[in-house]
Amino acid sequence: MSIMSSYARALAAQEGRAQPVATVRHVHLSAAPMVFIPLRLAGEAAAPLAAMVGTDPENPRLLVVPQPRNRDLRFAFMAELADVMLPYIEGFAEVVETVEAKTPYERYADAPQILVPSRGGVAFTKLLGRSTRFRRADGPYPVHPTVPVLGQWLTFFADRAEYAGSSALVAMTDALALHFATGQSPMEDANLATQLAWISPPDGQSGAKAALAAEDPLISPPAGPDTHPDFDGQVLEHAIRAYETSGSEAQVREALRSQLTPTWSLMWHAVRLLRGLPEAATVDVRWVRDREQFTRETARLAEGGSPRGRVDSAVRAAIRLADLESVVQTYEAQRAFDDPLVMIEHRVAGKAFTGEVVGVDAARRIVPAGKTRPAPRPLVTIRTSDPVRLSPGRKLFSSRNRKQRTEVVGIDGDLVVLQINDQMGRGASPAPGSLPEVGDVVCYAELDPGGGQRPRLPAGEDTPWTHGGPPTPYTPTDEDAEEAWS
Amino acid sequence: MNRLDTLRGPVAPLDHNARTIAALAVNPGCDRRALLDAAGVDKQKTAAYVGHPAPFGQSPFAITRAASFDALVKANGCAHLLRLLRETLGLSISEAAYADISDVGGNDSHQMRHTRTRALLKRAAAGGDGSCTLFDHPLLKLTVAGHEVYLEPSIIAFQIEGRFHVVEIKSFAVVDDQADAGQVAAAARQSAVYVHALRELFAAEGLDPERVSHDVVLVCPKDFANHPTATLLDVRQQLAALRRQLSRLTRIDRILEELPADFTFDLETQSPDEVGKAVGSVGARFAPECLSSCEMALFCRAEARGDGSTDLLGRTARDALGGLESIPAVLGLADESRPPSPEQLEIAEQLRYVRRLYTEAIA
Amino acid sequence: MPISKLGTSPPTDERTRALSIASCHRYWKTAGASGIDRLLLGLLIRSPTVELDALERRIAELRAQVRAAKAAADHATVRLLRAELRKTERAWDDALDPEPEPAQAPSLSVREQVHQALTLLGVPTAGKMIVAVNEAFFAGRVTAGQLTSLRRDEEKSFRTSPYARPYYLCAALTSELLSPARGLLAVSTWPAQIRIIGPLSPRTDFLTSAIRIAEHIARLIHAGEDASLAAYRLLTGMAQNIPGAVDGFDRAEPAQVIAAAGAELTIHRESDMHERGQAAKRAEKQLDQVTRLFGAGLKTARTA
Repeated sequence: MSIMSSYARALAAQEGRAQPVATVRHVHLSAAPMVFIPLRLAGEAAAPLAAMVGTDPENPRLLVVPQPRNRDLRFAFMAELADVMLPYIEGFAEVVETVEAKTPYERYADAPQILVPSRGGVAFTKLLGRSTRFRRADGPYPVHPTVPVLGQWLTFFADRAEYAGSSALVAMTDALALHFATGQSPMEDANLATQLAWISPPDGQSGAKAALAAEDPLISPPAGPDTHPDFDGQVLEHAIRAYETSGSEAQVREALRSQLTPTWSLMWHAVRLLRGLPEAATVDVRWVRDREQFTRETARLAEGGSPRGRVDSAVRAAIRLADLESVVQTYEAQRAFDDPLVMIEHRVAGKAFTGEVVGVDAARRIVPAGKTRPAPRPLVTIRTSDPVRLSPGRKLFSSRNRKQRTEVVGIDGDLVVLQINDQMGRGASPAPGSLPEVGDVVCYAELDPGGGQRPRLPAGEDTPWTHGGPPTPYTPTDEDAEEAWS
Repeated sequence: MNRLDTLRGPVAPLDHNARTIAALAVNPGCDRRALLDAAGVDKQKTAAYVGHPAPFGQSPFAITRAASFDALVKANGCAHLLRLLRETLGLSISEAAYADISDVGGNDSHQMRHTRTRALLKRAAAGGDGSCTLFDHPLLKLTVAGHEVYLEPSIIAFQIEGRFHVVEIKSFAVVDDQADAGQVAAAARQSAVYVHALRELFAAEGLDPERVSHDVVLVCPKDFANHPTATLLDVRQQLAALRRQLSRLTRIDRILEELPADFTFDLETQSPDEVGKAVGSVGARFAPECLSSCEMALFCRAEARGDGSTDLLGRTARDALGGLESIPAVLGLADESRPPSPEQLEIAEQLRYVRRLYTEAIA
Repeated sequence: MPISKLGTSPPTDERTRALSIASCHRYWKTAGASGIDRLLLGLLIRSPTVELDALERRIAELRAQVRAAKAAADHATVRLLRAELRKTERAWDDALDPEPEPAQAPSLSVREQVHQALTLLGVPTAGKMIVAVNEAFFAGRVTAGQLTSLRRDEEKSFRTSPYARPYYLCAALTSELLSPARGLLAVSTWPAQIRIIGPLSPRTDFLTSAIRIAEHIARLIHAGEDASLAAYRLLTGMAQNIPGAVDGFDRAEPAQVIAAAGAELTIHRESDMHERGQAAKRAEKQLDQVTRLFGAGLKTARTA
């Protein structure tokens, strides 16, 4: 945590109310997101207990497993969940737009977005996907045909959630923390109820006080996936027993409804809060990626694509890791260039600075390293009061032109001299408007919206023997399909 | 009656387990916890008594699940466990002898069980006839903050070719060879406590402590089934951390010296207010992490709130704020309403700068 | 053959002629529906117990009182008596209604079923395994809960009148202290060393159990019946923890289990039997007749 966000936390604690750490909204918010609040049975790896799910705040759908230890009831629950989720997801695979590129391609105009309360919800979504994607509708332990399809989609969403800046599956507490600093610790921010209490306390109440009240599990039950131990012992256990003796799931339903409804309201409250923020400039760029991935996955599944294996092959794992890292860099850079409040963190750290251009040497030409002919390499001098901690040679980008490469030539007191390396047109001198002008206020940062250098990896079939040689693609096995879920 | 007994009042001291020791070692600077634990005070009761009941508990479902998995692993003469040990450590077929030390002929007193644990382990270490392979429920002892405590174990100790291992049975799942990192880390910290205690026992018996391996056998359910699987867990790092933390633990005597002779947390004779005052008079070191591990956490948090302590914001925030202790100090230095002391000059300058940029950006 | 929930033959006794129409009706319905002849029914009806006699007397009494009250036009009393009558008739029904009992061993008590399972296994065994064996091979009606107090009840019975029963379900004794081993049940008629638990005994007894279960399945196959799915599941589960007893996740084959378990057993048997024999001799010398069966102990704190 940076000194800036820590300062904001201190301020929040003092003021009794959360303080902004962003001026714009950095997550995409769909016009009709699906809120999904899954619960599981305590002590079990992936025994679903209940879920509240839907796209209409007024009309949540409650699904329960009246005896979570019963495998058949679990699969019935998953089939019911598929009934709700699959039409929502597949509903986006209708409107197509064509992208003009070297080879034009199509992608869906919009994509599904699932909102869960916390990171625990994301992790549990992943486990639910893992425990259902290999199942089959035939064989010794058949399940409803929609169950493995849902398993594949849940796996897809959980995978997307690992990519920084993806909005396909969002943990609400993370989304809120991106925009607000509360007066409590990050650990406590994982509790949606207290986090929201700090952000928008009831009228006339301080956030600190509201957060304290929101810690009462009777008022704000845990947002899952784990239920409160007291609820388990005092209510749920009896309700499950009642189901076993009477066969009626009414008690279990009502008990779980009482645990889920408060979180349901909080989730939509959070959605409204975030909607109130103007969208950041690059949110759409990132959402396009989510749409493209969704388009790809839809096509893959339509072609009968098999479920993702239990473990990735060496090459796939390496590519994925490189992707994840590059996406983090891009996302961090985009957020900073989108939002001056976010940029502060980098300025305080000395990796970015803002200042006024005091000199431009547009005519400078040198022979760049590795070249034979001189090329324009203008120098720009900026006066800044920021504590710059950059050394000559460092590559910088600016909010003015996020693609233009520049590098630090020298720093002298409060003057920073930069050399501009590209994006100046093809002429012998820089194209008009391609350089900042004296008097401009500019911001440069050691942040690469391009995601930095990607390592070159061999194609799958060229995997060296040290990494297991070319991987055999995962083919579904009977064993996976019949795996116990006890 | 010694002073710790006076502190606790006329009730039996609570047992320690690896979880409590590990938690204690996570926050070694906390006198309050050290004292309450050394005296075996029931922190849960005390916290509730002073109006700040512990924010956590265990679900009956989780307890049942853990117990039934434990029973499964140990059923039929530890049949599952033997298979796993044969597979992962190459335990020879002939080594299968099992001793249960959860009681000694029906007597389950700590003294008795500990004596028996020592005798059996010593015999096994000597490698003579009838030396055992598996030791269920060994009762160990550990010196914590200059005070000896018993460790109610949930483990099996096990020897292979004269080398002893700790077997920890946990009911969280290992899915596709991956388990929840937090739970594995907690298991490693707890196992390290047992390894440490076992080594102390060896040393006390004049045996080489290094005969207790730093590789712990972690037994968990595999994937979503109930089938046990074993992994070797190297706890060297946790051991080193534990040793360091235990050595740093404030000596109880030092804390006691500063307290009046009749000082007590006795819930029988003291009002909630008095107990609250007594607890409050022993220094604490609150961190948000306490909320998941210490029963007194909400009491301490309320106290920290009253003091406007930066501890409330989390350790990383506190560090980022240059270790300043109070929130008013942070904001005071930032808006220059408070003059910095010489050692605060640097952080004060940074805070002023942050405040300026922040205010600009918000405006 | 599913013969749960059978009706009864209508009471013919003069005293009980006035019995509830409902129960007669149910008799004819169920007997007719399941097509069971009266002969079989007659076999199933237990001799009327004292309780039944009392209920029948009460029913006759109530009928008479209802008539009297009716005659006196005391409608309130009639209502009360009718309610009471219905209750009593229901009690009579319930008393006659046999519990759903599988065909094989309808008359065995829990005690007898546990004995049956232990006799199959031949070694001291924990409750969970007894339940599993009972389910796999016998009536399958024993639950773990029923076993908790069994040993204590047997001890009480033995103390009151020693050796009055042909066998007792007793404890196994730890070899070192001759105290009762936790959670294990044994049979009093077994040789003393079988009821001793030394350090290796949990393993040898497990291997022996696996062999005995495999042998029993083999016997069933030999007799032309096959064992239940539960029996194979039990055997397979055990075999997975015995080296070489089963391949991968296949179903275990009795012969392979017997061979593999036997091989491991050979390794442990000698030292195990030595330890058990020594302890048995000590038990013979040191213990009285009660503690020989139920264990000695330093029972001070919580006793099991």
